[in-house]
Amino acid sequence: MSTNARDMPRREGAFEREPARRVFAAELRECRYQFKDGEDEKSPTFALLPSGQRSNRIFLVGTLTEKTRQGEQNMFYRGRVVDPTGTFFVMAGSYQPEAMQQLAKIEPPQFVAVIGKPNLYQKPDQSWLVSVRVESITVVDKETRDLWVLDTAKHTLDRVDAFAKEPTPDILKAKEQYPTIDPSLFRKIAYDALAQIKM
Amino acid sequence: MDYSEAANRISRKFAQGGQTPDVKKIESKLKRLVDEFGVQPSEAERSVTSELAKEYNLPAPGSGGSSGAGGSGGGTQEKKIAEGVPGEWVTIEGKIVALSAPASASIAQSGIIADESGAIRFVVWAKSNAPAMAEGSWYRIESAVVDEYKGVANLKVHSGTTIKEIAEDRSLIPTPIPIKDLHPGIGGVRAKFVQEWEANHERMLQSGLLGDETGTIKFVIWKEPGKEKLVPGAVYNIFYAQVDEFNGRLSLNLNAATILQEEGEIAVNGGETSFTGAIVHIAPGSGIIKRCPVEGCNRALSRQNYCPVHEIQPKFVYDLRIKGWLDDGERTHNILIQRDVVEALTGISLEKAQEIAENNPLGMDEVFLQMRDAVLGRYITCHGREIDGRLLVNKCDKVAFASGDHTALLNRAGGAPS
Repeated sequence: MSTNARDMPRREGAFEREPARRVFAAELRECRYQFKDGEDEKSPTFALLPSGQRSNRIFLVGTLTEKTRQGEQNMFYRGRVVDPTGTFFVMAGSYQPEAMQQLAKIEPPQFVAVIGKPNLYQKPDQSWLVSVRVESITVVDKETRDLWVLDTAKHTLDRVDAFAKEPTPDILKAKEQYPTIDPSLFRKIAYDALAQIKM
Repeated sequence: MDYSEAANRISRKFAQGGQTPDVKKIESKLKRLVDEFGVQPSEAERSVTSELAKEYNLPAPGSGGSSGAGGSGGGTQEKKIAEGVPGEWVTIEGKIVALSAPASASIAQSGIIADESGAIRFVVWAKSNAPAMAEGSWYRIESAVVDEYKGVANLKVHSGTTIKEIAEDRSLIPTPIPIKDLHPGIGGVRAKFVQEWEANHERMLQSGLLGDETGTIKFVIWKEPGKEKLVPGAVYNIFYAQVDEFNGRLSLNLNAATILQEEGEIAVNGGETSFTGAIVHIAPGSGIIKRCPVEGCNRALSRQNYCPVHEIQPKFVYDLRIKGWLDDGERTHNILIQRDVVEALTGISLEKAQEIAENNPLGMDEVFLQMRDAVLGRYITCHGREIDGRLLVNKCDKVAFASGDHTALLNRAGGAPS
């Protein structure tokens, strides 16, 4: 019994938080391209995963194997978090006081869950470093780690499958930026990661 | 300037709408504006026209009602009720399905008039000298105006409107609308009374939640002679309820509605939904909080025990909650977890949290930190109702490792590319 003229526009949800992508260390390590979405100073920065998805934030679970305190005035912590495929380099500085305090309290080795933002750096010797700026790090149990491996394997396989089908703009960009990487490699990496979980 | 020509022009505009303005009076007003106040003739004509429009409670000709039935020509159109668009002059035939108490002395009658196409609220101005209409009778209303009041279409009966009772006795059986498809105006639903709320106003008879297969909606009945309460759990056919909108949310005002109880049963969809993911953020304001003790308030207090409405409240009440984000890798959902679920999820009871807050040097912050460390980064499934983009969680399950998923993924990863 309605006419369009009487319908009211409904309010739309204003803010959408960037989801935390699931990615294995072996794939994140290959990132070489990051970009801003928009011209604004506050526009989010994305690292482009070789499997063709942008990521502003990632969620990872692994073993914190070592942590070091660095710097005097601008103190910050570095840590290494190991998953079945490789190593994530994580860091928390004075701009992330909460994350730094969390990291400072954890004595390796421990299973940890990390939420953070990937950053790409080129070192003076031209080699690349992908590090994760920690927003939050907490100690978790082995079951959470195993769940993360399943979750990340699933998302990795989803991306690899999508890559072979309809190309999205991000997939096209990945093909352009990573011409030498064949994403089916990540299928094998996912398999190896899954195989390491003891039944 | 030829005042009489301009005055006739103005008068003709209103004559099309059924009015009979005094041409002499218009002429003298124009004269006064131009001669005495040095107003431009065109501006004077515009000003007198809009003054008259105001007097008749009409949208100013040429300003509103772009669809052409207004002052610009064409007279009024005979329409079905659902076709009326704000700003239009209309002629309709319909049945008075409800009369409600006028809200002000300048209103003679108000209520709801319906035909097969739908229903609309109407208002008869006291100034219009219209004959009183009786509930249940059919009328032909010529040259009334559809306008908008509080975002809802409304039919205005003014002094230029003619009302004739007509001999009609068609029975109108409105089709109920699914709750999720309701929009501001008049609407009918077939719904179950799922939850009764405490009346928070002395004039309120009853309020609560009605639900059908598609969703739920708040309803209100205001105190009025002859109004009866609904029975919780019963199913009702409700016709001609007023659908109001406030802050983007809809509610039903049942005072003018026709309500028939029936025997049936409805499987209500309470907006129940669930999400699975990892908790990726615990927001400030989580943990143990203090609430305002004033009845019906329950707002969270600031650190200084300050309620935004009731100021300093030293006799606050403790509560637990977790506000955060649950992330499945594709989308992030805003979640709000209530006390008993927080207790089950974190293993920290309200008593224990209170003890920590009162004895630990970090106070309430210590509860926040302990809860954060207990849930952040964990995989959980949250069940609850989603309201305004936030999931109000009433049940939480920790996700357990399923070897079936593991095997399936191994097969998928090891199999040929699909």
